[in-house]
Amino acid sequence: MIAAAIAFEFPSAGIICGYLICFLVGALGVAILYLIFDGTIDLSRLISEPNGDASMARFQFLVFTFIISLSLFLVIVSGKNGKPAFPESIPSGILTLLGISGSSYAVGKAIQFSDPAGVEDRPVTVTILPTTATVRYRQTQQFKAEVARRRDAKVRWEVSAGRGTINSDTGLYTAPDPPMAPAPAPAAAAPPAPPAVVAPVVAEHATIKATCVDYPDVTDVAVISLFA
Amino acid sequence: MAGMTQIITWEVQIFLLALFGIVAMQLLSGQISTKNLLYGRKNDTGELIVGADGLPEGRKKDDTTYFSPERVQLLVSTLGVAFYYLTQVLNNPHPGTLPPIPDSWPAVVGGSNAIYLGGKAYSRLWGRIGGSR
Repeated sequence: MIAAAIAFEFPSAGIICGYLICFLVGALGVAILYLIFDGTIDLSRLISEPNGDASMARFQFLVFTFIISLSLFLVIVSGKNGKPAFPESIPSGILTLLGISGSSYAVGKAIQFSDPAGVEDRPVTVTILPTTATVRYRQTQQFKAEVARRRDAKVRWEVSAGRGTINSDTGLYTAPDPPMAPAPAPAAAAPPAPPAVVAPVVAEHATIKATCVDYPDVTDVAVISLFA
Repeated sequence: MAGMTQIITWEVQIFLLALFGIVAMQLLSGQISTKNLLYGRKNDTGELIVGADGLPEGRKKDDTTYFSPERVQLLVSTLGVAFYYLTQVLNNPHPGTLPPIPDSWPAVVGGSNAIYLGGKAYSRLWGRIGGSR
């Protein structure tokens, strides 16, 4: 009623409102695209499940949505008699395809929810390789750290127990010098010569630790056995 | 009025194409994660890891992933159906209508999805019972 009155009083008001809506729709589109470009709208997990794996069902949904929206737009624009118009009907086959895709997605979710591991966002973990090592004194051993779910994460290395040094950046462990043997007691008199005894090889252990720099709680340890 | 229609047409067209382009570029560049898109997971977290000497070395901290042919065939059928339909629309002899799709397509897409779901269910639900897949 009010709009009709305005249109009667101000014939150009409808056209102005139309152009204003055009401007608002355009501004909304530009804002959305800018926010995506800016990173504020984060699409990085657009087709990912909560556990971080990409989902084929979500990807299928994405492709069908794009294709059908683009098709609908092209059909509307081509219109009838040169004027844009909605199609009179949507073929049942298209609806069936969308239904199959949606049902597949729903059943896939049901399968995932049957197992908690499929829906939980798994934590970042670090694993030292090798998990154990036997190193001679003064020798080196290269360790590697595999960080699950954050491949670009940096790792800091340290010797948490025992002797030896490790490069905090590269994980190269250098075994220490062998421990000094105890000095023999001075002989007061010439005792009878004892039978020759081979000093046992003294083994000791060291523990190294790898810590994710970005996740200080994410650590792993490896045990090193040192031999002469 | 014709000018206004033209403006809206251009706006929507540019928005849709830009959005499609951004998503496609981010998918190809890896900004949108496609990690394990073609890989399934065996439900074996917590199973014993047995060393070469037959002694247990620990327990698995994560599921084992495997290359999944059922996902590949779903990807191929999805992209095939989608782009074939797009060509149908672009070459539509009856403007203003959505072209119908062949009757066999729902069966093909349905079968493809059924294979995908079957593989997924097998790996997640029966993987633990059946051992290695």
